[in-house]
Formats: sequence, C-alpha cells, structure tokens
Amino acid sequence: MSSASAGQQTAWRRFTAAYARLLSHLVVGSVAILVIPVSLQIFSRFTNLIPSYIWTEEMARFLFIWTIMIGAMIGVRESAHFDVDLLPQLSKRNEAIARCCGRVGVLIIAFVFVWAGWKFTRFAFNRISELAELPLWLIHMAWPITGLTWLTFLGEQFVDDYRIITGKGVQS
Amino acid sequence: MTGTVLSSGQAAMVLFGSFFTLLFLRVPVAFALGLASLPVLIIEPRLDSVTMMSETFNAFNSFILLAVPFFLLTANLMNVGGVTDRLMSLSRALVGHFPGGLAQINVVLSFFFAGISGSSTADAASQSKIFIEAQRKEGYDDSFSVAITAVSAVLAVIIPPSILMVVWGGILTTSIGALFLAGIIPGALIAFAQMATVHAYAVKRGYPTYPRSNWAQLGSAFSKSILALMTPGIIIGGKIFGWFTATESAAIAVLYAGALSLIVYREMDMKGLYAALLDTGKLAGITLFCVGTASCFGWLLAYYKIPEVILSGVSSWGMGFIATGFFIAGVFLMVGCFLDAIPAIIICGPILAPLAKGVGMDPVHFAMVGIISLAFGLVTPPYGLCLMIACSVAGMRLRDAIKDTMIMLVPMLVVLALVIMWPQVSLFLPSFISPEFLK
Repeated sequence: MSSASAGQQTAWRRFTAAYARLLSHLVVGSVAILVIPVSLQIFSRFTNLIPSYIWTEEMARFLFIWTIMIGAMIGVRESAHFDVDLLPQLSKRNEAIARCCGRVGVLIIAFVFVWAGWKFTRFAFNRISELAELPLWLIHMAWPITGLTWLTFLGEQFVDDYRIITGKGVQS
Repeated sequence: MTGTVLSSGQAAMVLFGSFFTLLFLRVPVAFALGLASLPVLIIEPRLDSVTMMSETFNAFNSFILLAVPFFLLTANLMNVGGVTDRLMSLSRALVGHFPGGLAQINVVLSFFFAGISGSSTADAASQSKIFIEAQRKEGYDDSFSVAITAVSAVLAVIIPPSILMVVWGGILTTSIGALFLAGIIPGALIAFAQMATVHAYAVKRGYPTYPRSNWAQLGSAFSKSILALMTPGIIIGGKIFGWFTATESAAIAVLYAGALSLIVYREMDMKGLYAALLDTGKLAGITLFCVGTASCFGWLLAYYKIPEVILSGVSSWGMGFIATGFFIAGVFLMVGCFLDAIPAIIICGPILAPLAKGVGMDPVHFAMVGIISLAFGLVTPPYGLCLMIACSVAGMRLRDAIKDTMIMLVPMLVVLALVIMWPQVSLFLPSFISPEFLK
C-alpha cells in the first residue's frame, strides 16, 4: 500500500471518529433535553406557575425519535447491536468472516434506509405536525441520515475485517 | 385470503424462515427483523420498503416508549450519584451475615434497585461491575457469580416500576397502575427463591460470609438510604392515584434520582452526568431501534392474519385455564430465547391475548404471566441480554455460565408456576388497594 493511500485512510478515520464524537454529544444533549418537556407537562398540571403547553408531548416524541436514531447510529459504529451467537468458538480469522456475514445484513438495511428513507422524507416535504406545526420532513430526515451514517461507519469495519481475513494485520 | 399475493402460510414461512437464518448468520437481531420483512415488502404489490420506514416511525412516535430512556437514565444516575452505594450498605447490613454473604447482597441490592429502576439491562450492567470482580476475589466460582448477577437483574422488570409493564400496558391497554401492584408479590417471591438458591450453593461450596451487623449499623445504613427507598412509593403511588402517567412517573424518577445525586448526596460531577446521559442514549437507541423493526415484522404478521391462523389451530386443542396459562408462559419463554422482551410483547402479546380472554384469564394475570416469562428470557441463551452483559463484564463465554444459570432458574420457574396456577398471587394487591383497575 502506498503512503498516499495510507494517509487518506487515516484522514478518513479521523473524520469518522470526529463524526462519532459529534453524535455522542448530540445524543447526550437530546436525552438531557427530553426530560424537560415531560417535566413541564407535570408542573403545569399541578402549579399555576407556567401555562400548560399542548406541544410539549409532540416535541418530546419528535426529539425521542431522533434520540433513538442517533443511538442506533452509534450502535453500529461500536458494533453494539446485539446478535445471537450460536456458533462454537472460532479462530480469529473465522470470527472475522462470521462478523462480516452479519455486517452484510446491516449494510443491506443501511441501503434500504437511504433509498426508502429518502422517499419517506419526500412524502413529508409539504406536511406539518398536528400540534407544534413543525415541518415533518425534519423528523423523517432521520431515516436517510441514519442509513448514510451506517454506510460511513461500516466501510472501515469491513476494511478491518478484510485485513484480519487476509492476514495483513490491522491498522490502528 | 383475498387481496394478497402470498398466503398466510407462505408469508409466515418467508418471515420466520429468513429471520432465523439471518440470526444464525450473526446479523444483529434488530437488523434481522428488518431484513426478514424486506422480501415480503418487495413481493407484495401493495407494500414497499417505505412501509418499513413508516412502521418504524409509528413505533418510535410513542409517548409510552419514552419511559424507556427515562428508566435507564434513573438507573445510571443512581450509580454515578451514590444512591446504589447506600443501598449496597443497607443490603450488607441486612443479609451480609448469611452464608454466601456477598451473593445474598447481590440479590437484595437487585431487589431494592428494582424498586427504583425499571430496566433489567441497566441493573445487569451496573451490578456486574460491582459484584463479579468482588465475588471473584472472595473465592466464588466465576460461573456462579455471573449467573446470580444475571438472574437477580431480572427482578428489575418484575418489581415495579418496570419498562415491560409500561410497554405491556400501552400495547394491550391494561392498567399500568394495576400491573405495578401485581408485580410486587411475585417479585418478592422470586427474590426469596434466589436467596434460597444462594444459600444452598453457599453451604455446599463453603462460600464466605460477613460478620453480623449490629442494630446501630443497620439503623445507620437504613437512615442513609431512606430517601432512595422512598422512590418506589413516589412512582407507584403517583401512578395509582393518577397524579401522572407512566411516562411522567419515569420522568419524576429521573428528577428524583438527579436531585439525590446532585443536591443531597452531591457525589455526581459533570463528567459523571455526561457519562450517564451518553450511556442512556446509546442503550436506549439500541434497544428501541429493535422495537421499530420488530413492529414492522409484527405488522406484517398481522397484515397476513398469521396470528389468527396460529390461534385457530391452538384453540381447537380445548385447553383449560391452567393449561392455557402454561401454554402462554411456554410461548413467551421460547420467544424470549431469541428476542428481547419489548419486541416479544409487540409481536406475541396481541396474538395470545384472545386466547387468555377465551379462558377467562384476568388481563392483569395474563400480563404478569407474560412479563415474568419474558423476564426469564433475559437470561436464557442464546439471546439473554442480562446474561450476555454479565458474561462480557466477566470476560467469559456465555456457554460457560449456562449450567449455573439453568440451576438458578429452576426455583424461579416454580414461582412462575405458582403465579400461573394461583391468580391471587398477582391479583391480591391490585384487588386490595385499587379494585377499580380490575375488570
């Protein structure tokens, strides 16, 4: 491998690592914010300090959807989505092959999310939500973005596994 | 069948066949459920892959499921904020002097933890870190330590509050307040069965014990954890008296645990808070993403009327009340081996509900049989999340912990049998405290 392509690769890996950090900050922020509208709902019912807002529930649900999708994006990078291990103990190489098998499944779903998710977003271009009157495509966008993110993260995982399978060692 | 290209039987073959094949190929469960739905969505002209997008959207667009991240966050805040430490001292003062003291503390701490948190996976993750290494140092066998940590973690979804009860109540429109009350006695019985199991192990294998705490120590440990022990009262009471909804009660639990950690005990710093939030977001994302694809899978089953076909076969067996109870438990135990509990409720709950209704089972009783069986599914291989988490913390393979886990499950299954045969075990408290919840 030439030094130029190795350099590109580390730049790519730096990018995915930075993107993953950004996603972590976003998921932390959204979980923290989620508590607010639900708490507001309770306080407005029992006190007269704040009016009872009707959009709190919808806002909470929409932020919740984004939280799930971002969590699922990070899950693919960290290979944290649970799988079922029915095979006996494998060698390191066979383990990498088995992992790749599973990742092909994730890859297909990632393509479906990009393609169908984009159609799904286009449906929502002219629609707004019932209560908060938010443009719905802002929420539907989570699907294609999740798909694209998975594709981004899967690439380097396939490269790592390919190196183990072919015995070329792993670049850290 | 009219209007569909595939018959119920063909659709069921494609859906279940590809799902299990994909599982075997190590595709993560959440993605396997989505992939298995894909061929059917493509073959059927009225459906397409956008159906998967809208079905996952509908599943996530739920105020009920919002309780899941809140319960996870409560558990994480308890751990970083010192609540768990105080409950641990109390557990030690209570049961440390029994044979196998540390393992008994493991069970009792899970019992207390269950009263505040509603998530077994959060319990398994936090207690594995606390107990497995500590038990190893005291000479407990690894497989025993992993097994007892995992099986005691299932208490979190049986003892209220519980994510599973909230989801069950939301999907099958059963009173969540009644479910909260119904879980208390079965949960206590299961904890008791686990303590008896630990006792038997400890006596046989000569596991160590701690000196007995005196009354002053017990009193001090109790007074330090009294604020934490009040949490279940606030959550369950608030739900039963109708002060707030299930999701709101989970938010209250977050605020209360946060207040204890930040203001009362003052053990949580910003780094700890960030870690708690990050961990919550990741685990909630992974768990709930699977709920989305499972909903799509379940929706397709309903689209092809597969549940009706399965059910018509089963109802012709003419099972009585108790046989039906055992059948329901059996189905949930089997499904729990391959699926996480929430997707299992979404897919199987509506299929089995008419069966339970047919033999006059109370919806709350049916729910408890289902929830306890699914809770056991959290430790049954190949897909037992709590056992997988405990094994990964201990750095051992799942299969090495299976034997002890199965032994510990036997007394727990006896409690399940009791719950099935004797509805009053779960129905007594709801009928005593709030009979209006039962139909």
